[in-house]
Amino acid sequence: MGNVVQRQTRGALRFEVCGNMAGLELLSDQGYRLDGRKASELRKVQARMGVFAQADGSAYLEQGNTKALAVVYGPHEVRGLRSRIRHDRAVINCQYSMATFSTAERKRRPHGDRKSTEMSLHLKQTFEAAVMTQLYPRSQIDIYVKILQSDGGNYSVCVNAATLAVIDAGIPMRDYVCACTVGFVDETPLTDLCHAEESGGVSSLALALLPRGGQIALLQMDARLHQDHLESLIEAAMTACKGVSKVLDEVVRQHLQEVSVLSGE
Amino acid sequence: MKDTPLSNCERDFLLKAIEEKKRLDGRQTYDYRKMKITFGTDYGCCFVDLGKTRVMAQVSGELVAPKENRPNEGIMFFNIELSPMASPAFEQGRQSELSVKLNRQLERCLRNSKCIDTESLCVVSGEKVWQIRVDVHMLNHDGNLMDAASIAAITALCHFRRPDVGIQGDEVTVYTPEERDPIPLSIYHMPVSVSFSFFQQGTYLLVDPCEREERVMDGLLMIAMNKHREICSIQSSGGIMLLKEQVMRCSKIASVKVSEITELISKALENDKRARKAGGRCGFAESMPQERITALKMDKTSVEMTDVSDRANDIVQKSEAPPQTVPSPVVPIPGVGQVGQGLQNTWGLEDDEEEENGEEQDEKITEMEEEQHEKEESRGGDVVEISDSEEEEVVILHPETPDKTPKNTGSSFHQKMAATSKKRQKK
Amino acid sequence: MAADMRLPTIQKPLSLSVSDFDRKDLVVPGDVITSDTGFMRGHGTYVDEDKLTASVAGEVQRVDKLICVRPLKTRFNGEVGDVVVGRITEVQQKRWKVETNSRLDSVLLLSSVNLPGGELRRRSAEDELTMREYLQEGDLISAEVQSVFTDGALSLHTRSLKYGKLGQGVLVQLSPSLIKRQKTHFHNLPCGASIILGNNGFVWLYPTPEQQDEEAGGFYTSLEPVGLSDREVISRLRNCLLALAAHKVLLFDTSVLYCYESSVHHQVKDILKPEVMEEIVMLTQQKLLDQEG
Repeated sequence: MGNVVQRQTRGALRFEVCGNMAGLELLSDQGYRLDGRKASELRKVQARMGVFAQADGSAYLEQGNTKALAVVYGPHEVRGLRSRIRHDRAVINCQYSMATFSTAERKRRPHGDRKSTEMSLHLKQTFEAAVMTQLYPRSQIDIYVKILQSDGGNYSVCVNAATLAVIDAGIPMRDYVCACTVGFVDETPLTDLCHAEESGGVSSLALALLPRGGQIALLQMDARLHQDHLESLIEAAMTACKGVSKVLDEVVRQHLQEVSVLSGE
Repeated sequence: MKDTPLSNCERDFLLKAIEEKKRLDGRQTYDYRKMKITFGTDYGCCFVDLGKTRVMAQVSGELVAPKENRPNEGIMFFNIELSPMASPAFEQGRQSELSVKLNRQLERCLRNSKCIDTESLCVVSGEKVWQIRVDVHMLNHDGNLMDAASIAAITALCHFRRPDVGIQGDEVTVYTPEERDPIPLSIYHMPVSVSFSFFQQGTYLLVDPCEREERVMDGLLMIAMNKHREICSIQSSGGIMLLKEQVMRCSKIASVKVSEITELISKALENDKRARKAGGRCGFAESMPQERITALKMDKTSVEMTDVSDRANDIVQKSEAPPQTVPSPVVPIPGVGQVGQGLQNTWGLEDDEEEENGEEQDEKITEMEEEQHEKEESRGGDVVEISDSEEEEVVILHPETPDKTPKNTGSSFHQKMAATSKKRQKK
Repeated sequence: MAADMRLPTIQKPLSLSVSDFDRKDLVVPGDVITSDTGFMRGHGTYVDEDKLTASVAGEVQRVDKLICVRPLKTRFNGEVGDVVVGRITEVQQKRWKVETNSRLDSVLLLSSVNLPGGELRRRSAEDELTMREYLQEGDLISAEVQSVFTDGALSLHTRSLKYGKLGQGVLVQLSPSLIKRQKTHFHNLPCGASIILGNNGFVWLYPTPEQQDEEAGGFYTSLEPVGLSDREVISRLRNCLLALAAHKVLLFDTSVLYCYESSVHHQVKDILKPEVMEEIVMLTQQKLLDQEG
């Protein structure tokens, strides 16, 4: 375990040095990546559920060096804009934010810029697909996610953390939603990109999956990729998501055990 | 103003029609609406019509200081404006979800795919670079804004010419168009977005949804591609569950559509270039009297006048001799009289044929898909047509022309003739 | 001001026996519970391709042919007859909106409250105008669930002298699943304070009133200053409740009382320290077991 952490720090350090230098070798001839992982290796995922007492559900998730906190409130009465009330289902309200200290460069992040609004929109979309909103007419579910440290794959880490928080809140979902980013270098799909790889000009694909049915809740891709490679890339992303889902599953089951043991049943 | 909701009747009707593989405007599942690309007087101004959807893109450039982290790259800026003029549902000022979605998608489609050589926009490294700004305005909203916007933006970028710049020592001179010819941007490839809408939890799929269809759809998948079959961006939206197979299928359809659209764009650009060289009337000056600014306009119907008599002779010679029977009154049932033998009615024939076609396609839809794409591709040649000698910079795409199997009836024969004669003319 | 500092200590990992891990009745979203079509679908489940699947993480409960999954933690799902403690959020025409930790705000109709003085009559327009005098935004009330609307919202009533506006006391908000369902949720504890254990997880602690004022009709609230000893008892009870909740012990009169008794050796403010908390809860659980056995 310690070994993995060390590797990650090394990767991060190297990135500070190289910056955006072009021609960074993302995949060595031996098939290792910048932080020493293999092409299809995920970063270490660690998570905890129920980290806040006040919220209905909460979770903290680390994926390599990317860390996120997710909090869920609801379902509750729609507050504020009454016009948002849906008579057949709950509305999902998502807010994504990044801490000022989350990136290498300390930066004040104004609320509601295009990128974070888009991210909130995507989170909302993902959870609208997975949460059984039709069970809670006229109510609202709030999902707030904050990135504490950003090292690539922000969207996927947010989705994974929010999934745990939603489960913690006891809100019905069809299945876990797991997300992962995948890149494509030298005809090889790289799973779970870190920041150095993301900024290295790799074409990256983010995918949110409901692993049991193999349904894609969100698909987003940037940069150029030949059509023929699309299938293998999606395939790699789906495998990675299934890997993530195994980890999440373990976390949830562990949490269930602990709580049910405590309540003395 | 909030959008008035669609009535349940309409919703049910639309969904039912989609289930039966029918669309309101008579298109097939994978058809685009009629697309038209027009240019303004200025370089870098482009109008795109997609059915009733109308979009304007204007490119402008100015010299600015570059960003600190990229000292020798020009800056690209994209902005999509949803004015309440296009639809009362659009609110001025506030960034709505739709506007964020469209803006980001356009940025991803055109900036992140690096289709424009930003390094060539550098004038003095670290001091002066060109900032190219693309403003896309929605003029009329009838669905599929993204595709229209992406086509308008990339066409306008291709059309744009920036002033030439000369550097002598520390002095930077910007030449007026009179002094030196303005130069075009260097564009590596042309990404075009294609939207797919999904209905009934992804069971049904339509290309180029119109506004009504967008309202009843479950979700949207936007794929931006260039004609080299490179995917520049994919974005799914709306709460739908997609399967991998669906995504793959969409990407295949997209590649066909993109090659058609790209061809249309390059043809339009070529036509405009020719018109400008000839010094003919082009752009706004010409579009005003024809009311081309608004979406509700009258198009001239083009009628072939050149070889009318030849063709008429041709038809007369080739057609079968009329039946020699003398019409005599027939009485099918008492009280009803009829003259003639009730020859096949050629008026209603077209409709019948279409229905037949439609049914056939319904049955074979799964196996035929691949073939259909190929057919569409091969048809690409006669899809683009020059409608009028006066409107040279206008190109019209008629993808919905049904591909009829020629039958020995007068009407279809006629059409075939018309098509061949047009081809001849182009050559 | 003296600060209390402690060094970080490693928390003992919970010892989970092997049998605990193999518990079959714990499911997570997406787990197939049964592919037998003979069962009925209850809360927390859905049918996916003829398979009964869990949609929440929790334990499976089977009642005859009905299968439910009860999540460990959730918002309050009210049932008719539940005692709740809530807060008025809105005064509307002929009704109050009450926040009760359920998924929609509950409704308290003007016609389902007792008028001051216990008068029985039709509610007039005048009563509507004076609604805010009875209860206004921010007031706490205790009430009972009268019925459940189709969308899951609760309709409350306070037509009994034990319900009504709450005066001086302390509100503790806990998870609804920690409240044990009992015959009565109003208790006058022998330690000198009273408690309302709302089914919705809101617990109200207040000084035991000296005499039941029949005339008040639930709207009179005493503004007499509460004595120091009473306040201390209430604060201690509050901290005890938090300690029990942190260790997920079911709350009912006996458990609260035992916890109070175990905590008397400590200062009120010390109860919330993790090690003290653990000690007190251990003692409480011991007492509860003794009582059972």
